[in-house]
Formats: sequence, C-alpha cells, structure tokens
Amino acid sequence: MSAFLARNRLIVLAYAGMLALLLVTALFSPGFLSVSNMRSTVVLAAFVGIVALGQTFVIIGGGIDLSVPWVLNSAAIIMALLCGGQDLPLVWVMPLLLAGGAFIGLINGIGVAQFGVPPIIMTLATNVILQGLILVLTGGSPTPSAPALIQFLSVGRLSGFPVIALIWLALTLVATLLLSKAAFGRHLYALGTSATVAEFSGVPTARTTILTYVISGLTAAFAGMLLTGYSGQAYLGMGDAYLFTSIAAVAIGGASILGGSGHYLGTVAGAMVLTILTGLLPALNLSSGALLIVYGAVILLTVSIGSETFAGLGGRLRRKEG
Amino acid sequence: MDLVTVNGLSKRYGGIVALSEATFSARAGEVHALLGENGAGKSTFIQILSGAVQHDGGSIVVDGQDYRPANPDAAQARGIAAVFQELSLIPDLSVEQNIWFRHEPRTWLGTVNRTQMRLKTLALLEKYNFPALRPDQELRRLTLAERQIVEIAKGLAKDPRILILDEATSALPAREAEWLLNLTRQLAAEGRLVIFISHRMAEVRAIADRLTIFRNGSTVAAHEADAVSDNEIVTQMIGRHLDRLYPERVSTATDRIALGVKGFSSGSRLSGVDFALREGEVLGVGGLQGHGQRELFQALFGATKASGSIELWGKPVSIGNPRQALTGKDGIALVPEDRRGQGLLLTKSVRENLTLSVIKRFTENGLLSRQKEAALVKEMVDFLRIKAGTPEQLAGTLSGGNQQKVIFGKMLLTQARVLLLYDPTRGVDVGTKGEIFQLMRDLAAKGYAILFHSSDMPELVHVADRVLVMRNGRIAATLEGVHISEEEILRAAMLETRAA
Repeated sequence: MSAFLARNRLIVLAYAGMLALLLVTALFSPGFLSVSNMRSTVVLAAFVGIVALGQTFVIIGGGIDLSVPWVLNSAAIIMALLCGGQDLPLVWVMPLLLAGGAFIGLINGIGVAQFGVPPIIMTLATNVILQGLILVLTGGSPTPSAPALIQFLSVGRLSGFPVIALIWLALTLVATLLLSKAAFGRHLYALGTSATVAEFSGVPTARTTILTYVISGLTAAFAGMLLTGYSGQAYLGMGDAYLFTSIAAVAIGGASILGGSGHYLGTVAGAMVLTILTGLLPALNLSSGALLIVYGAVILLTVSIGSETFAGLGGRLRRKEG
Repeated sequence: MDLVTVNGLSKRYGGIVALSEATFSARAGEVHALLGENGAGKSTFIQILSGAVQHDGGSIVVDGQDYRPANPDAAQARGIAAVFQELSLIPDLSVEQNIWFRHEPRTWLGTVNRTQMRLKTLALLEKYNFPALRPDQELRRLTLAERQIVEIAKGLAKDPRILILDEATSALPAREAEWLLNLTRQLAAEGRLVIFISHRMAEVRAIADRLTIFRNGSTVAAHEADAVSDNEIVTQMIGRHLDRLYPERVSTATDRIALGVKGFSSGSRLSGVDFALREGEVLGVGGLQGHGQRELFQALFGATKASGSIELWGKPVSIGNPRQALTGKDGIALVPEDRRGQGLLLTKSVRENLTLSVIKRFTENGLLSRQKEAALVKEMVDFLRIKAGTPEQLAGTLSGGNQQKVIFGKMLLTQARVLLLYDPTRGVDVGTKGEIFQLMRDLAAKGYAILFHSSDMPELVHVADRVLVMRNGRIAATLEGVHISEEEILRAAMLETRAA
C-alpha cells in the first residue's frame, strides 16, 4: 500500500485536493454538496474529462495536442448540420465524425512521428486549418438544434445517474486498461520517458505516437457531439475553453508535462478540480477575470509540486554511488 | 604538508550510508588515484569534495583551513574543480561556450567578449596540447570521446589547484587516453593535485604517485603506488582474492554461421564490411576510435540506415529498425554504447526496464500478467545477480555495473542469440567486469554468437576468439589465435592508415 502511495503520490494528491476543494466550496456555498448540484458538477466535469482523455495519452507520450478546440467544434457543427435536428442520421453521422476526429489525429501523429514536426506547431496548424474550414463551411450562420438522442446522452439520466457520467466511467475503465494493463501503456510511458531508449528497446515509437493523437482526435470529436447535446445547439468557439482545461486537467492530475508519467485516473481528479473551482468562484462573488486568475494560479501550484518531485528525483539520481 | 586532509567523513541518504569514516590525505604536485568497486563510496567522496553534495560528519581541511563548500561554485572558489563521467555539457552550445559557461570573459558592457573567449580557448587548448577540437563546433555534433575532452577543458579553464577526474579515460580511445595520462603528469608537475578515478589498473600504474582504496562506503587503505602490488590492491578493493579478471578462453565456436554480413555500408563511415560471426563465438571488433565500429553496431541493429546484405542463421533478413532486430530467438540484440541515453529509462523501475522489449512474453488476451512479468524479472535478477533493493527500485539509482546488468537482462530476455556488445564494461567496476566476461563465455558455450567491441584493448586480447580490426570503415585485418595482441591490433589499425 505504501509502495502504491509512493508511486502514485501526485495522483493521490490530486484526489486530496479535490476533496479539500469540495469542503471549502461547501463552506462558502452550503447548497453545493446537494445531490442535484453534484450531479451537474459531474456532468460539466465529464466534458473536460473526455477531452482530457486523449490529451492525457498525448502528454504521457511526450507530446501535446493543441488541435482539440477545433476538432471538438468541427464535430459539433458538422453533426448539427448533417442531422438537421433528426435522430436517425446519427447512425451514420456519429461514426463518420469519430472517424473524422481520428483522421485529424492521424495527420497530427504522422506529422510529429514521421516528419519530425514539433507537436506544438503541428497541432496548432491543424487547429487553425480546421477553424478556417468550418468558417468557410458555415459562413458563420447558426446551425440547427441538436438531435434529441444526443441531448439524452449529455443531459439525460438512467435510474438517477447522468448518462454522460456513465459514459465517462466506461471511458475511464478503457483508458485505465490501456495504460495499466496493455502493452500500449508500457510502450507509451517508455516513449515519453526517452524516445531514444524506447527505440533501442524495440518499442514501436512511431505507431505509439500516432495512436495517441488518434485517440485525442476521437475523444475531442466525441466530446464535441455531446457538448452540442448539452447546449442544445452548436456554435462557433464552443471548443475554445477546452484547450486550456484539457491540458490543465492532465497537469493537475499529476502527469509530467514533459511526458513519461501520469495516469488518466489523475486526470479525472484534475477535471473535477477545475469544475469545482468554477462552481466555487461565483459563490465567492468573483468576476470571470478572477476566475481565470485562480485557474492560472492552480496550474502554477500543481506544476511547482511536480517540479519539487522532479528535484527530489534528481537528488536520488545523483546519489548513485560508484 | 598535505594540501587536503580528510578525517571521518560520512554521508547518509535517509537510511542508506553512502560514505562512513573516510580518511584521505594528498599533497600538492601528486597524482592520487582512488580505487574501488562501483558503490564503494568513491563517487560520494568526490561529490563532497567538488561541492555537489554536503557531508554530514567528519572534517575536510584544505590548505590548513576548514572546507565545507555549499555548492560547486564555492568549491571552485577554493580552487577545486571536477570532471565527471556523467557529462555536464549543453548540446546546443559550442565547444568554447561550454568551456567558459558562466565564466565567460566580458566586455565593458557586460556582454560576452567573443574575441577574448576564442583567444583564451585557443591558448588553453595549446597549453595542454589538446587533441584537435574546433572551438566553434556545436557540441551535439561531437562524439562521446570528444565531449569528454571538452569536459576536461572546462575543468581546466577554472585553473584549479585540485582537479578531480572521474573515470575520464573510460570514454576515450587509446591515443586520447594516452594524452590524458600525460596531461595529468604535466598538471602534477605544475604543482597541482590531480585526484584520479579509473577502473584500469594499467593507467593507475602509469601515473599515480599514491592511491587510496575504497570498499563498502569507506576507505580501507592508502599506499605509495610503487610499494604495493596489483594483487594486494585488488584484494583490498574487493575484500577477497579475485582469481582472475579474464575467464579461461575455451573456444566453443561451431561451423554454423550465426551472422553473415556482406558489402555492408552506412553513410561515409562504413564502406563495404564483410565478416561471418559463428555460433558459440566471441568475435572482437577493434581499431582506433572513429573507424566505423559504432556505425557497424548501430547499423546491424537497425538504429541507422545501411546497405548490403545480412544473413541471420542462414536466412537473409532486412533490418530497418531495432524493432525488426529484436524478433525473439532468431533476432539480434544490442547492448548500446550510451547506457544512460540509449539503454535505460533512468526514472523507471528495474522491472519496467528489464521487460520493456518483451512485453509480448507476458501478455495474455491483450492484457499484461503481473505474475508472469515478475517471473521473468526474477529470472534475470537471479541469473545476472543484479543488486537492487526491490525490482521497483528506479534504474537511475543503481550503480553503473548494476545498470549495465539490467541492460544485459533486457536483451537476454528477448532470447536473441546474436548479441552485439558495444563497450559493455565502460565505467563498470572490476568485479562486475569479471562477471560480464564470464557471462560472455557462458553464453557463447550455450550457442550464442557475440560481436564485442571494447575501447580497452586488453579486453579484446583476452576475451575474444578472433578480432576484426577496423580502419576507414572497412575490416583491415582479422586476427586469430597467437596473433591477437595489442601490438598486432594497433599495427593493423594504424599502419595502412598512414599509407592511405
């Protein structure tokens, strides 16, 4: 047990932070811990969590995906346009858009792994290109409302549980299996720790890198469709907030932004922390400007905790006698 | 009058005692060797001297004054500089920028005075007769050996009264190592104290005036170099009598060809290499550094592109990347040159490192089996006698010899029976060296085929069944039997170089 704690100290810390934050928020706003409020907090956190799933894989592998805002936004808008408010087209629209998200991820991954484009540049470029394409496609006009089925997935309930929370739970299980129980996870941590050592150890580094971006494209597109259901329609700019939150959730969850460490279970706590914070701040009568400032401060705090462990590790490495 | 006197020095890390009750004394103008196995406490000792870590107990007196540096800068202010084997250089800076890093000559505006820096660099290189180095060359383009030389220049740039060299020769080819040995004599003649760590007895013999022996985290003895025999030194180092470093060479080679290479070329460094490595054979690869040995090993493993034909166990294969080399029993495995940069995930556990290349062997229905993995780890930890607290210990916290064993374990688990060993004993203590040589012979006897490069020529002479000598990217000679000697290797490596 203590070995587990030591190895996953940062993840445990993320959950401890989440609980502490819940208590503080409950002090300032007594109704916060009510069932209905917790339910809506989890629903909001689920969107962050789903986008951050792909981001977690990319970051553990040593990369970063800045294309999530417009992959998400593109999926949302194209879905709304193709479905025209009807449920039936979802049968082919949803697989099509998931494939589309995966395809954007494939392009990102190939650019990074095969052509050596730095991840920041590669994904920033795809993001801007998608933004342009969507502007050309819609001409900025409003889209039809979301199909009822999608609305059910994002705001509906099954025996009291929000459907999206169940979806999130299922995705968390899949992500955990991939990271902890599959060869892919081992390859991923090795790749993020040292691409050269991974290559010399026979790890399929290019394939692994590409796969992380494909997963990120998938989850961003999926989140875009769900988010359309939540807000009732798709609109330009709806993905923008998810660039920062997806990365922040991964960092708060204990992953090194340089790759090689972290876990999706940590990201789940990170997504919760960010969402609870947004619930806390109105209770404190803070402006949206102050909200951003606190957001930034939380990230700084977590990164400094992370770098403390990094320094500790450096000490341990220097201790190597000889 | 001693320049440095150390009494009862100790250092603990949590529950681990890295150094206890160490005593040491050295005079100005001498070369003082530190000997001991990895983990004996030498590194901790010099880290304290150089200000990288602070001691918990005991005292150090330098020049009659108490010495307790808070950091390497404070140590340098007292005239103590260290050259470590873990290289401290910045790949993106040039040679001269690295040498003068944070001590750059300034203009009156406070900016770096480039002209002055160039002049000072050239003067330094000239004064100590450095092997050819271009001051403006970007560091990342240099070989490991050249970087080591830059590291030495960086140490000397501080004009220290005490210079600490931590296995500085281990990354150097023969000629440059020779230069370094002469350099230490020159520094001592200038009245400096050189504290010198090496695992090569011949070097210590060649230059040391005195030596201090470490064992199990403490000092056990100090001697005048000419008053003690090699045998006594080794016995004191390992606390028992070591029969011999090199195992008996009984050829176990069969007629079956494990690895056949024809017309193998890669870039400008490797042009048309042909050889055959047989089952049960240890085939040495020697020659002067930079004549294609590194390229040969990397290209055979698929880490760099190459042309030509390769046959493994009689079957033609094409190896485009390491993954295609590590294909199980018929594959080919590499223990790479750069242990920390290519071989090990330093921040991951011994377990994760050992099994990284063989995840398939403990995957069932797509899921990893921790039990099966643990069995594989235990098999290698026991077989190679890897000294780690638990398999969860981070690889970066192991001693050099144990790190190398982990890399061997990782490669042996792949079950590849053609092994490429690139300088596997570099920076490894004498006890582990002996174990590695014995392991090579044992594996050969089991039918493994081993291609073995060493920067330490006696190792080739004493361990290999045959030696290929490389020159200008080709095989210049193949030495067998009584013809394997340092003289013959050097002759083949050098003579026609002059002709060409």
